[in-house]
Amino acid sequence: MNKFTKKTDPSKDGTGDRRAETPWRAWLIVKMVLIMSIIFAAFFARVHLNDKTEQLAREKERITAQIEEKRTEIKKINIQIAQLKSWENINAKIRQYNLALRAANPSQVHQISRSGIDTPIMSRSDDTRIADLSANTVQNSGEIR
Amino acid sequence: MTLFRSMAIRMALVYILLVFGFGYVASALYGVQITRHDELFEKAQHTYTTRIETHGSRGEIFDYDGSLLVGNMPTMDIVGDPANIFILNKKDEAKTETECRMIADFFERQCKNVNSDEIFRRLMRRTFTTTDKDGNKKEQDCHYAVIATGVEYDTAKELKEKVKELSFHGISFTSSYRRKYPKNTMLANILGLTNVSADTFIPVQGIERSLNEAMTATSGSKVYERARNGRPATFTNNKSEPTLDGYDIFLTIREPLQAIVEEELDLMCERVKPHAAWAILVDPSTGDVLAAAQRPTFNPNDRNTMTTESATNRLSELALEPGSIMKPFVISYALDKGFVTPGTMVDCEQGVWKYAGRLLHDTHNVGKVPVTEIIKQSSNIGTAKVSVMMGAKNLDSALRSFGFGQKTGIQLKPETSGIFRPLEKWDSLSVSRFCIGQGIAVSPLQLARAYCMIANGGYMVNLRIVDRIERGDDIRIMPVVKEKKSIFVNPTTKKMITDMMIGVTEAGGTCTEAAIEGFHVAGKTGTAQKVINGAYSNRYYASFVGFVPAENPKFVLLVTCDDPTVGSRYGGSASGPTFKAIAERTLKYMHVQPQLTREAWLAERSAAQKALHERKVREDALVQARREERDRQLKAEKAKESAKSTGTAVASRPSSSTKSTTIRR
Repeated sequence: MNKFTKKTDPSKDGTGDRRAETPWRAWLIVKMVLIMSIIFAAFFARVHLNDKTEQLAREKERITAQIEEKRTEIKKINIQIAQLKSWENINAKIRQYNLALRAANPSQVHQISRSGIDTPIMSRSDDTRIADLSANTVQNSGEIR
Repeated sequence: MTLFRSMAIRMALVYILLVFGFGYVASALYGVQITRHDELFEKAQHTYTTRIETHGSRGEIFDYDGSLLVGNMPTMDIVGDPANIFILNKKDEAKTETECRMIADFFERQCKNVNSDEIFRRLMRRTFTTTDKDGNKKEQDCHYAVIATGVEYDTAKELKEKVKELSFHGISFTSSYRRKYPKNTMLANILGLTNVSADTFIPVQGIERSLNEAMTATSGSKVYERARNGRPATFTNNKSEPTLDGYDIFLTIREPLQAIVEEELDLMCERVKPHAAWAILVDPSTGDVLAAAQRPTFNPNDRNTMTTESATNRLSELALEPGSIMKPFVISYALDKGFVTPGTMVDCEQGVWKYAGRLLHDTHNVGKVPVTEIIKQSSNIGTAKVSVMMGAKNLDSALRSFGFGQKTGIQLKPETSGIFRPLEKWDSLSVSRFCIGQGIAVSPLQLARAYCMIANGGYMVNLRIVDRIERGDDIRIMPVVKEKKSIFVNPTTKKMITDMMIGVTEAGGTCTEAAIEGFHVAGKTGTAQKVINGAYSNRYYASFVGFVPAENPKFVLLVTCDDPTVGSRYGGSASGPTFKAIAERTLKYMHVQPQLTREAWLAERSAAQKALHERKVREDALVQARREERDRQLKAEKAKESAKSTGTAVASRPSSSTKSTTIRR
């Protein structure tokens, strides 16, 4: 865009409507500003998001470490529970507190059967138990070794 | 024109220079990007990437219901960085020495088994020498000096805080774990133990050894590009190989039953003071080992309690002559194949029988009795006669069909298959000795399995101690290995042999101590002489094995006492009461209701007592009659001799009461 071509255009010489020039320049500026702002926005967004991501990564690291610590605590507690539940420990406590505990007589014990509740395998009838296990039973040939 | 020419030359020169320049850059780029790409990429990666080895944890061991038997106890290792301590003290020798001394003294006060001078020496060793491939020696900074290992988790956490407060430089805490056996001595010989060497668990024995592969964790790694602060860069492709923990092992052992067996075994040891003792409880339908204990044993948490005696797994490693507990196998085979019936009469020769030039004795005099009484009274001679009648080949197949001479299939290493000579190597005595448990060596596990076969109707079943292995959702169940064909051809064999074995715990049997109120107990005693230095000694293995309830057995229980020193040495007296105590408590735990009311059970017992009394009266009368007959004979002979000398003839006829055996070869 040079001044010679501008002059040949009667509408855009000095005598023409000067207001018609303004929107074009303004539009250019708006476009420039828009582009610049997009670039800046993208730049700041990138910086901001980067920062946020790093923050989250640090947070994740912290939480992972916490989870790991909790897991370790759980492991430690599980062992403590196992120690407390050991018969050696229970017997020692029974002796210590002189508790008059004894095993029940079989005639005093009755099995309560409720449908929908899985009873321990030990207390099921033989047939049920064998049926349960038969699914995983490897049948050898009938030959006696 | 000149100007134009000189311009053209200059431009040409610039052009040529540019061409060469670009050409050089292009060739350099080719070299960097293509020819030396791999080498340089590796170099670059080495500079800005970090690789961290990650380790999973070893699988844990649980009982059938998920009670923890072996776990991983979290601990921490405390490590110093000597080179860094020196740098952080601004390379001031005196300051570094003071700090190292303070650190060493601090940890000696706070941790067990830590020596201050040793730590100080390690922390002051700032460099170490390495030798490269070409043999050149190189000094390197030392960044690793162990201060303490396996420090308890809580203690380590406190120490970490204190180290922060005291602002010690270059001290780091790394997570580790050690094997912990929360039940101490319980099941120790089965569980086994591990040693630790360079962060690796080395299994020594037991389940820890036999399932080491499944329990071992798979190592993984994390590879990441470092940011300027040394942390992983956010927008990079961080590669990682996952770490897999080892499989958790779930045994067939029931902890409450195990506790019962261990307690009763301890009481037996107090009562008879044996050299060793063991007991094993097995489910005959599946071969599941429900409990297994032995004395002496050890505490895997305290290696000082370990000796060769206490660490040996007697159940799977020991092969011993079983004695009379072998008799039911021979008799059941003979019954099954029709060699005898329960009523077949066998002359037990009043306690002494000569076979193949050697005398065989019974512990008490037994006369002519039915086969049922051979088991009830545990007659060696009676069993030997049945065995001789069957012949060596049949005896061999009888014992082999019950699994003797073979491993039981249990997931325990090492396991002995016992000593059972092949038929070709038998001598003339073998047929009369193997049947009574002499000259043959079997392991307690083999015995338990063989009795499972009697209890389950003749089905060979492999013993199982591992029920399943689990890792998250990956659950693998160890199959029950059971023959589909019974070794008993005759469907009544199981009942016949069981009835005979019930007699063992009834009046007149060898172990009335094992009788349990409300139940029929089928069992067999065994008192075997120990072989010491190749000869039979006057020390014994006193055993009792049986199953309850006899008609529908819930378990097979073997109790053996090695050399009882107090009280009776017989299996019935030494091991019978312990069998009873364990069986009673086990039945209660399994909620097995009694088969008979107290009144019915007592009535049965008194009927058996009465029958025994009547039989004894009959036997006494028979003995008396024989004695009178013999006296009469003697008198007649004397009279004959005196008549000869005086010349008088006396008529006489041969006696009809000469010894006879129904079975004799």
